[in-house]
Amino acid sequence: MISRASLLLLLAVTLSALPAAAQPGVSDTEIVIGSSNSFSGPLAFTGEQITKFGVDLYFRVVNDAGGIHGRKVRTVYYDDGYRPQDAVANTKKLVEQDKVFAIIIPQGSPPVVATLEYIEENKVPLLFPYQSSPVTRGKRYVLQGMTLSDRSSKMMIDYLAGQRKLKKFAALYQDDEYGKSFLTAFEKDLARFGLKLVAAESVKRGVADVSAQVAKLQAAKPEVTFLVLVPGPGAQALKERQKIGWTDTLMVSTGPLTDERYLSLAAEAAEGVEGLSLWPDPVTSDLPGVKLYREHMQRYFPKNEPNRYSIAGYFAGMLFAEGAKRAGRNLTRESLIASLESVKGFESGILPPITIGPDHETQKQGFWVRVEKGRFKQLTDWLKSE
Amino acid sequence: MRHAALATGAAVVVGWPWAAPPYFVFLASLIAINAIVAIGLNLLSGYTNQLSFGHAGFLAIGAYAAAILTIRAPALPVPASLLLAGLATAAVGLALGVPCLRLEGLYLAMATLAFGFVVVEAILNLEWLTRGNDGLHVPAARLGPWAFATDTARYYLVVAVAALLIVAAVNISRTRTGRALLAVRESEIAAQASGVNLAAYRTLAFVVSAFYTGVAGGLFALVVGFLSPDSFDVFLSVDFVAMIIVGGLGSILGSVVGAAVITALNDSLAGFQNYRPLIFGAILVTSMLFMPGGIASALRKIPSIRRLR
Amino acid sequence: MTSTALVHVVVSGLATGSIYALMAISLVIIYNATRTLNFAQGEMLMVSTFVGWTALQVLDAPLVVALLVAVAAAALLGFILERVVIRHAISATHFDVLIITLGLSLMLRSAAGVTWTHDEFPFPSFFSNRPLVVGPIRVAPVSLGIIGASLALMLALGALFRWTRLGRAMRAVAQNQRAARLMGISVERVYSSSWVIASVVGAVAGVLIAPVIFLSSKMGLVAINGFTAAVLGGFGSMPGAVVGGMLLGVLENLAPLYLPASIKHSVPFLVMISILIVRPGGVLGRVARRKV
Repeated sequence: MISRASLLLLLAVTLSALPAAAQPGVSDTEIVIGSSNSFSGPLAFTGEQITKFGVDLYFRVVNDAGGIHGRKVRTVYYDDGYRPQDAVANTKKLVEQDKVFAIIIPQGSPPVVATLEYIEENKVPLLFPYQSSPVTRGKRYVLQGMTLSDRSSKMMIDYLAGQRKLKKFAALYQDDEYGKSFLTAFEKDLARFGLKLVAAESVKRGVADVSAQVAKLQAAKPEVTFLVLVPGPGAQALKERQKIGWTDTLMVSTGPLTDERYLSLAAEAAEGVEGLSLWPDPVTSDLPGVKLYREHMQRYFPKNEPNRYSIAGYFAGMLFAEGAKRAGRNLTRESLIASLESVKGFESGILPPITIGPDHETQKQGFWVRVEKGRFKQLTDWLKSE
Repeated sequence: MRHAALATGAAVVVGWPWAAPPYFVFLASLIAINAIVAIGLNLLSGYTNQLSFGHAGFLAIGAYAAAILTIRAPALPVPASLLLAGLATAAVGLALGVPCLRLEGLYLAMATLAFGFVVVEAILNLEWLTRGNDGLHVPAARLGPWAFATDTARYYLVVAVAALLIVAAVNISRTRTGRALLAVRESEIAAQASGVNLAAYRTLAFVVSAFYTGVAGGLFALVVGFLSPDSFDVFLSVDFVAMIIVGGLGSILGSVVGAAVITALNDSLAGFQNYRPLIFGAILVTSMLFMPGGIASALRKIPSIRRLR
Repeated sequence: MTSTALVHVVVSGLATGSIYALMAISLVIIYNATRTLNFAQGEMLMVSTFVGWTALQVLDAPLVVALLVAVAAAALLGFILERVVIRHAISATHFDVLIITLGLSLMLRSAAGVTWTHDEFPFPSFFSNRPLVVGPIRVAPVSLGIIGASLALMLALGALFRWTRLGRAMRAVAQNQRAARLMGISVERVYSSSWVIASVVGAVAGVLIAPVIFLSSKMGLVAINGFTAAVLGGFGSMPGAVVGGMLLGVLENLAPLYLPASIKHSVPFLVMISILIVRPGGVLGRVARRKV
């Protein structure tokens, strides 16, 4: 005897098994995107800046102006504390429970790489992850964000060994994916000039003292010492150098490190430091897009200081909006990827014109900087990384 | 009464993937994995009072062992790779347990803490095997022609293994061995006086605890699908300790409940971002203030539950 | 490796080691009195240092004021936490209290992040970073300053324990709580005092180390090294904490100098495990070896 209840249950189950007609995360009135990010743990500060004060800042402006083709953008973030298994769980939650349209600017290689298989299987766009390891290349649904380490390395070595004819290089690197990927890239690029790293010392994340590593590097007498670190240990390295009076090496920071934050930690020890900068100076640059970014920050988050992390998030929002606008009112995951791939010469007012192709790399730029009065001053034009 | 409760429980567990959305099936798998670790840890810490802050290390060994076997020997059926992962971890447990016989309390806790760090370093160094920092993708587990490629399939695998291990644990606790272990916890001197070979039982506890955690590690590798040294830090070990203390030391039911509560709580708080540790911490503090001895202790005080045991 | 560089690295290690020693001492003080491990020690240090820093920013005051404010904040925090939270867990086992302190550490860290953000901030130092060169020896004043200040504090604590009534009461409670109570010692007062003193020691350590590792919500993680140091030297003993701390600091620095990259990070832990196997009570351990 089939009861009415069980008939209703059967109907419900059947209906829920039907393929969803609409795109997940896209309704008549809104687009939902999000990511798993670090709001606790070692990269909590960056995580908050790229999301709440970066992506969200941009979308505040967009939403206030009416949204994208009449749809407002809403973001959802979950904390993974840099733990890969939490990133996997959060990403599943975002895709299956929150039904996000796309994942935007998740942070860190291990958490991001952990989710790659799931993303590709479920055909969810993963946009502009905030990490520099090339391991995310070559995936249909992933669009790169930050300039990847091999491109950065090429720019840095071409400039230092090619243009400035320097020969002896050493590296102080963090003992993780970020550090290792740069180390590999440096070795490869130096080999093109017939050179090798004369010394390389690793630093564990969160360490209190780098005196031993710096002493060993000094003993190798390099002309250039690369710092592939995060701001804390980076500043410690500069202070250590000052402590031992090691003046005859040029300290060069990689893209993710080149920011006034690490300079302010090192205070007076930050003299003569150079680096590759991935962004124009967010505080002083008068490029139109950067000025607009500062205005928006002042309007919506006046207490938050502009920095390279939030501008990266802001830019990610901008690029997403551009892709969504081009895809038109009929926004699907496929049409978003296709329209982003078709971006040619996009003027953001922040970075040089962006052309994205099938390689899915959105940022390939950097320029050389040198410290002057506590801020990084631009020394060259945008460098070539092809 | 007891049979009805067990039957309902079993029905919920078996029927879960039909009733729950896929994400919660995945979450339930994680809970079951943590429950296995919690039972293993409880065996060591709750029964023989050897508090361990290094169980993330055992989890890592089991996870990488199972992952490497699945990659290098794809024809190996999944129960075999899990068993081997467990045995490999048990062997390491033996190697750690014997020297730790001379240690107690805090010293033992620190030695296990150090062990946890050393395991992660070893994983990083054995790059040729573990791919170090790059991380290791774990292919789907196989059993003959079938691949465990969906959340639901993996859930049933995890739950089947967990059920087996829980039954085993319950049986151990009822046997002479189990009673001996409990006796060791209550009073080592009395236990020794009753003829319990302290060294043997303490070592046994280490080995069995490591075995359980190793098997859980293998399941972890299969369910999460990606391994990286960043997954197995000291904070994970501390999470496991929290599970057994919140759940109740020396209680198998407590281990399962503690694992479920901590895992579910952590998951539900992920949306609170910066405030997550604040809320989670507050819940830990208040629950221990109001439920000293953990949930199992509090449950024991309810007469109808007492009859269940 | 020149001897100049070696001396510098060792002295630098002694400096970090002194901080580890202070952390270890705070942990040992609380452990001796209350038989609980305080997981929140590092976070309490971090919050106190942040409060001192806020005073610097807001009042534009000299560094010494920051130190005093940090110490006062620490004393208050220690007192309140002990009274309001720990005291009420009196019926709990020490495992329960462990989880309570764990919860507190999570709360403090998150609250700091919400109040001051998770950013890192430079913290001024009493001592200069520019090297002091005396013949072939080159040392950084900041290292010497940290070592000196820590030793002074340790001596002051030693005097407290030896010659004051409170100190003697604390030692009595550490030895045998019941007997101490029977002798008329207020065990509750000793609990409170232990938490307050331990927090104050932590605040001083915080102000000393913040210029080196920078002020941030994750600064409290240095307490993990404090645990390691305390066990290395022999938990429960004050001199043990000092020896353990210095030893750990120097070991951490010498390992990268002489050992290959693959094992240098594990060395402190491997050494600790080896020492525990040979001398379960730590280097200066007084704990009787268990006869199994």
